[in-house]
Amino acid sequence: MEQIIQTLILGLALGGVFALMGSGLSLVFGVMRIVNLAHPSLIIAGAYATYWAFKLWGIDPLVMLPVAAIILAAIGVLLYKLVFEREARSAKYSEMTVLLTFATAMIVEGALGGMFTNTQRVTSPSYATDAIFIGNIFIPTGQLYAGIVSLLIISALALFLKYSRFGNAIRATTQNREAAELLGVNVNLVCIMSFAIGIGLAGAAGSLVSFVFSFFPAKHWEWVAVLMSLVVLGGMGSILGTVIASFMLCVVAAFVGAYVGATWSTMTFFLALFLILLIRPQGLFGEKPELA
Amino acid sequence: MKTNLALGLASIVASLGAPAFSQDGPIKIGASLPLTGSFSIAGQKHQQGYELCVDLINERGGILGREVELIVSDNRSDPATAINQYERFLNVDGVEAVYGTFSSRLSFPVANILARNGMVHALPAGGALRIYEQGHDNIFYFQPNAAEYVGASLAGVVRDLVPAEEAPKTVAIISADDFFANGVWSGLMGEIVTDPADGSEVADLSPGYLAELGLEVVYSERWPEEGFNDWLNLANQVRQTEPDLIIGLTASAEEAVQLTRAFDTVRATPQMVYFSQGTQAEYLEGTGDSAQGVLVHTSWHSDAPFQSLLAGSEFSNQDFVGAYEAAYGSPPDEDSAIPFAVCQGIEQAMVGAGTTDNAAMGDWLDARTKEDAVRTILGRFSWDDRGLPVEKPFLMTQWNDGELQFIYPTDEFEGVSAMSYPKGSF
Repeated sequence: MEQIIQTLILGLALGGVFALMGSGLSLVFGVMRIVNLAHPSLIIAGAYATYWAFKLWGIDPLVMLPVAAIILAAIGVLLYKLVFEREARSAKYSEMTVLLTFATAMIVEGALGGMFTNTQRVTSPSYATDAIFIGNIFIPTGQLYAGIVSLLIISALALFLKYSRFGNAIRATTQNREAAELLGVNVNLVCIMSFAIGIGLAGAAGSLVSFVFSFFPAKHWEWVAVLMSLVVLGGMGSILGTVIASFMLCVVAAFVGAYVGATWSTMTFFLALFLILLIRPQGLFGEKPELA
Repeated sequence: MKTNLALGLASIVASLGAPAFSQDGPIKIGASLPLTGSFSIAGQKHQQGYELCVDLINERGGILGREVELIVSDNRSDPATAINQYERFLNVDGVEAVYGTFSSRLSFPVANILARNGMVHALPAGGALRIYEQGHDNIFYFQPNAAEYVGASLAGVVRDLVPAEEAPKTVAIISADDFFANGVWSGLMGEIVTDPADGSEVADLSPGYLAELGLEVVYSERWPEEGFNDWLNLANQVRQTEPDLIIGLTASAEEAVQLTRAFDTVRATPQMVYFSQGTQAEYLEGTGDSAQGVLVHTSWHSDAPFQSLLAGSEFSNQDFVGAYEAAYGSPPDEDSAIPFAVCQGIEQAMVGAGTTDNAAMGDWLDARTKEDAVRTILGRFSWDDRGLPVEKPFLMTQWNDGELQFIYPTDEFEGVSAMSYPKGSF
């Protein structure tokens, strides 16, 4: 029983971190239909900003989190204006964004490597490797804090989307871009701001990642498929779905790792991706596409 | 006018100081390295090692009077790209020699291309025994031994440095499912190494170093080569078996950081910990006090008093450390020292053979003996028929008080530090 509880705790703790990592990706797809393969590389950028703030000035990653989010959000605005805005009305927009974001990921990786070298980094605040022990069961404080902060940010985002005027505009654009435009929503502004929020979430996730995992510029390739599987399982564009999928898959992976073998735990994400595409392509909370 | 005069004088002074190279054109040497992708950390350091060595050779007059031109390509940690790039070096760029790439995963397929083209294949990394059992006679490995025999150093440490009554009795062994790490695993566990192509036996390593030490394996597990994130869960599995010795065979120093931090979090308390990676400064930065007492094998250590040759002159290990720090502003580690040694080996082969003809260079390298060896900053090298170094032990190091100390073998050099034991908590 102890083993089951421990495995559940470790799965949930990891799920909290992945929930924030995947949320920005989901938001950006939901509003703009951009499959942002560059999202993990921007998480790494946020991690680097946090690492250097900690290294040079001793700023705690959790304090640095809003700063990293704002820096990355500003980069998001720039990126959208430079790369995506002009193609927004293209008939093959979604397909094109796959190529554009793939190229962006490589450019971000190269830029990070040029600026910071390919050396691996990790931020080490005192809580990063600490744990709360209750008998023989432990809760890792680093992942606990990361999970709590992650859920707070996602809750704030959910409240913003549900109750603010701009949030309503984002949701309207997500549901039907043309109808939102007809009703007077400034869709271009919504897209810019949504992209900025999505990339800002990558920055925030980067701050958490910086003390949960070690990282280097090329690390993002390891996360692309995992994050995609979370977003697809949750339903492309559904932030709630992504959060639930993150907890589900991380818990399942933890149990697979504990009871089947570590070799198979990573496979859980890809198996889930395969099965969900086979059985329910729209994901757990996604809408079934209408047939013309 | 003054500017032109100054520039003219400067160019005259510079030309007087610069070595005069032959008119035959530069010797082109190609190296395909993983500068991006999963091996990019080590790949970039390999590039630095090669470039520093070539720069120093050129400052000293080049090889056979010719300047050396290094062509480096990024293979993105992808075996197919590495193969294509070596073929391009040979068929398009017209290189006269090559330097090897990083990791067994990339070196294994590259070995066939270079053998087919009769090129000397000097490997900085590629420890899997299978690479040397393919029957190629052009391979020369520039680390002490194949991965399968790394465990001999760990066994030596346990046997020679730990009092018998305090020796570990149980072991947990965890490993990346990686070419190199799997090789180390095979040696420790005493497995039969087979050729994946036809299933034939390459080597029978039974009973294995762990069995020879009388250690009981209480936990063994592998994690996937890429994308593994569940370090705490894995560390917790190990902790629950309460092993005396933890062996972590990581594919990179980055994984060693993740493992060490995970063991720290779960409060594992082994008597002894050995990792296959973790000599780098970044490992210490990422792990802090948790690194205390961790054993790591290495091919190079800054304290080893190796005297080598570079461009015909004596060049000590300390000279290398000084030149590296001057060039890159930080101390080197083995990921830069090993490729530097490869470059020294190729230079000595060209000079020794008096030509850049690879068949002659290969014959010259083959003819090296322990007394008349290739002399590098990794020590002296001569090779057996397979291309593995003869009688060359790995160095065993241990992190103590924030310093990577050289602890074993004890009779190789002066100044060996005492091993701290037991480790206890992380």
